Amino acid sequence: MGVIRAQPARVSDWAAKSVGAAWRAFDLQLTTYAGLLVAIGLVMAYTNSVEGGSVSLQAATTFSRGLMWAGIAVVVFVVATVFDYHWLKTLAWPIYALQLGLLVLTLAIGDGVGGSARWVSIGPLTFQFSEIAKILMIIVLASYLASREGRLDSLLSLIGACLLVGPPLVLVMLQPDLGTSLVFGAILAGMLWMSGASLRWLAVLAAGVIAMVPIAWTYLLRDYQKARLTDFLNANPDIQGAGFQLHQAQIAVGSGGFIGKGLTNGTQTQGDFLPVQATDFVFATLAEELGFIGGVVLFVLFVLLLWRVLVAGWRSRDAFGTLFAAGVASMVMFQLVVNVGMVLGVMPITGIPLPFVTHGGASLVSMAAGLGILQSINVRQTKAAW
Amino acid sequence: MTAFLDHRPKPVRSLSRFLTFALIVVIGASGLTARLFYLQIVDGGRLATLAVHNRTVIEAIQSPRGLIYDRNGRPLVTNVATFVVKLRPSDLPLDERAMVVDRLAALLHMTAPEINANIDGNPGSTFDLVRIAGDVDENTARLIAESGADLPGVQVDVEARRQYTDGPLMSQILGYTGPVSGEQLKALKADGYLPDDLIGKVGLEAQYETELRGVYGTESVERDASGRKTQTLQTLTDARPGDSLHLTIDTREQQYAQKAMTWAMKEVGIKRGVVIVMNPQTGEVLALVSLPTYDNNVFARGISNAAYAKLLKNPDKPLLDHAIQAHYPPGSTYKLVAGTGVLADKKITDKTKIQTRGYLTLGSTRFYDWNHLGFGLCTIYCGFGHSSDTFFFQMAGKLGIDRLGYWAKQYGFGQPTGIDLPGEVAGIVPTNQWKQDALGSKIFPGETYQAGIGQGYDVVTPIQLINAYAALANGGTLRQPQIVHDIVGPDGKVVQPFKPKVIREMKVSASVLKIMRNAARSTVLLRHTYNLVDLPIKVAGKSGTAEFGTRDSKGRLPFHSWFVGFVPKDPRHGSFNNADSQLVVLAFAYDSRTKGNVATEIVKYYLQMHFQIKKDYRLPYLLERGNFYQSN
Repeated sequence: MGVIRAQPARVSDWAAKSVGAAWRAFDLQLTTYAGLLVAIGLVMAYTNSVEGGSVSLQAATTFSRGLMWAGIAVVVFVVATVFDYHWLKTLAWPIYALQLGLLVLTLAIGDGVGGSARWVSIGPLTFQFSEIAKILMIIVLASYLASREGRLDSLLSLIGACLLVGPPLVLVMLQPDLGTSLVFGAILAGMLWMSGASLRWLAVLAAGVIAMVPIAWTYLLRDYQKARLTDFLNANPDIQGAGFQLHQAQIAVGSGGFIGKGLTNGTQTQGDFLPVQATDFVFATLAEELGFIGGVVLFVLFVLLLWRVLVAGWRSRDAFGTLFAAGVASMVMFQLVVNVGMVLGVMPITGIPLPFVTHGGASLVSMAAGLGILQSINVRQTKAAW
Repeated sequence: MTAFLDHRPKPVRSLSRFLTFALIVVIGASGLTARLFYLQIVDGGRLATLAVHNRTVIEAIQSPRGLIYDRNGRPLVTNVATFVVKLRPSDLPLDERAMVVDRLAALLHMTAPEINANIDGNPGSTFDLVRIAGDVDENTARLIAESGADLPGVQVDVEARRQYTDGPLMSQILGYTGPVSGEQLKALKADGYLPDDLIGKVGLEAQYETELRGVYGTESVERDASGRKTQTLQTLTDARPGDSLHLTIDTREQQYAQKAMTWAMKEVGIKRGVVIVMNPQTGEVLALVSLPTYDNNVFARGISNAAYAKLLKNPDKPLLDHAIQAHYPPGSTYKLVAGTGVLADKKITDKTKIQTRGYLTLGSTRFYDWNHLGFGLCTIYCGFGHSSDTFFFQMAGKLGIDRLGYWAKQYGFGQPTGIDLPGEVAGIVPTNQWKQDALGSKIFPGETYQAGIGQGYDVVTPIQLINAYAALANGGTLRQPQIVHDIVGPDGKVVQPFKPKVIREMKVSASVLKIMRNAARSTVLLRHTYNLVDLPIKVAGKSGTAEFGTRDSKGRLPFHSWFVGFVPKDPRHGSFNNADSQLVVLAFAYDSRTKGNVATEIVKYYLQMHFQIKKDYRLPYLLERGNFYQSN
């Protein structure tokens, strides 16, 4: 059986290919897993919007807002899929400028709790630009590293990548949004790893980051951030103070048991003991109402999704595709572990959303954009490598 | 081929790095699964229990505080609903605190430091509510309640506040309630006191705190994460309302007494004074006035720091109950002690005549009678009636300081009377032992002379003095003065009925006290008290002029004026041979310096009102500033 060798992809190939061929390269699995995760998120949004037994579809409820964002996400996904990702390489610098602009704008006109600036209001919607900035960061970094293909194990590539990530990371830190800046770090680390950067220099970089921790602790972190971090390390945290959410979340999860209490029956999360159950702590609601089984299903979906993302990267004939997939995988992986870990009490509270599931609009839209670009990469390879 | 490969860019894809990445994903997911397994399956039972406990909290149900009525059933205090602004410090982000405090200060007409002091003076934890302001008007309360988002941690509660019907008239008796202090809370937390609780601070509110408070109930309450009550699930124990107090105080008598005192204070500019009215047969206090006073409603509403500081700074101490919480030299009223003593110890009889003089000499010191002339040969009736100092110097000399002290203690001096009001002081009865302990030497003979006429070391509280005369009037039973007549439970049943309490039966024969009562009557009959004798009722009593402080430029000492009088059961036709008096009245005017004895005029005015005597016997010219000694 003759194996047709893969050819380097070219822009002109697209026009020559049939729509049918492109559809076969479209990764239905990837889209399905992501869709299931979004569906779980919507179910959680629904169960959180049912209060006192009355179901409502008012514009203000969590569920209907989730539905609206899901709709927007689908549109974004389709557009990104159709869009030829090769253009992104060309547009890398303008995209970088856009990213920095959004973050500066957030600092300038953003709203937030306690003097912070995280959300920008657009009409009735609030939007967290830092979520979009993550995807833009992956595009910019992938373009940069792809442009240095062949010299990726050099120190210069590594320094260049760090210099690119630096300004957005600092801007996010200023909001202050510790969680998102950590995501930036994770994206950088994951992409450098997959780019084949020299292990020696990666080790040096890691050592440098560790050396920075005391300085960051002293000068960069605010008191409440420190309180969250120390509270996590504290064996008997002040359950009335900073550790309150953490404590409540673990009680909620633990009381779920094997099969959970059933949807809308979570006393902890529904009784409003658990603050922000609809956003960063959505996993607590899931674990309480759907139990261990629900949690495992969620993890399995994430693992399968990550697998498909990595496969998309592997199949890509150009470095940009590989690196972009690595960035998306790093982001999803990091956010999954940190968000769920936070709810389970093994990670500090940092305010990172659970990808796809958290109903936060910007997070979902940027994930949709990321997956769309991945599909764009998938369908623009001439033939599948695997 | 090799050369071609060399020129190709090094491929980005590295299988080992892909697989490492995939491995990390699997490890991460497995780790989370393991943790989830631990929390939900291994530790699930414990956490599920916690979840139920956490959902409901036990909270206190406040019990309505008992009311206070006068002896005729007139309510002296009621509970009214008011708005209270409270703050939970843990819900107030540090960086917003200054803004919130400023906004509250503007809304509540308080200063930022006052609010900060309230927050920082919080006796509980940062998760307990702190009172910021009480008695907030409805509009302000609504404004604050509706701007929850702008005032994080602030909430408005409806709470019962004390409303004192007569304000200043009864403040010294009733006292007031206020926020429990940190120190009090430490001691009382076990009794169910809450950090934002109110407690009786002074007066009857403090004395009868336990009875008035009742017992708080408990209920299980579902609360949300911010500690707010979402619903009441179940009442666990009912709150038991506090008991009510029915006082011996008669509002009308209290008004008369205050009116009499206020008249004299205005007339001559006296700054402090006390009027007490008692029933000597039972120890019931009918009126107890201490001026200047304050308005306890101001405290109940939550007094500002400035207003409180002003009260504290007032040199005449309006917050002090001068009737029981301060002691003063008794002056000639104290001659009761020496007179009773010499008769009881049989040093003299009522027939014995003693030579009184212009002065007595002891060593090189002259001890003058108050008129510098003396009253000739005098029995006890003449000596007591004219208030002859040289008579009583000799009586004190006959008794000696320790025997004089014995009789003083028989009359209840030198120890608190035990009246049911907080903060009573004991006064001083000088004896050899007392001076040895206090000053390290024995009493000198001259000091015994002084003690005999109520000058020198002896100091008494007005309540002690009236109680001593009450014992004289009732025939020798020293009773404990009482303010609360009976305590009535929330169901209207009497929990603790009134029972006269006896401190002691005096070790003195009835005949001696009969002599002293008639001696007291002769004070009035001899016109020592001017026209008091002209009243259509019979009054016996004793005046006192007690020097204190330092001499002025003319060598004169400032002085207080006293008068204690009593009236027989039948005020018009009764006799002081009988110990049936039901009314004893004391007036005390601090630093009076009047020509005549102003206290006598105050008692006279009170008696006119009490007995509804139409004719006014008051002699305002006696209230002119002047020297009692030189004008007599």
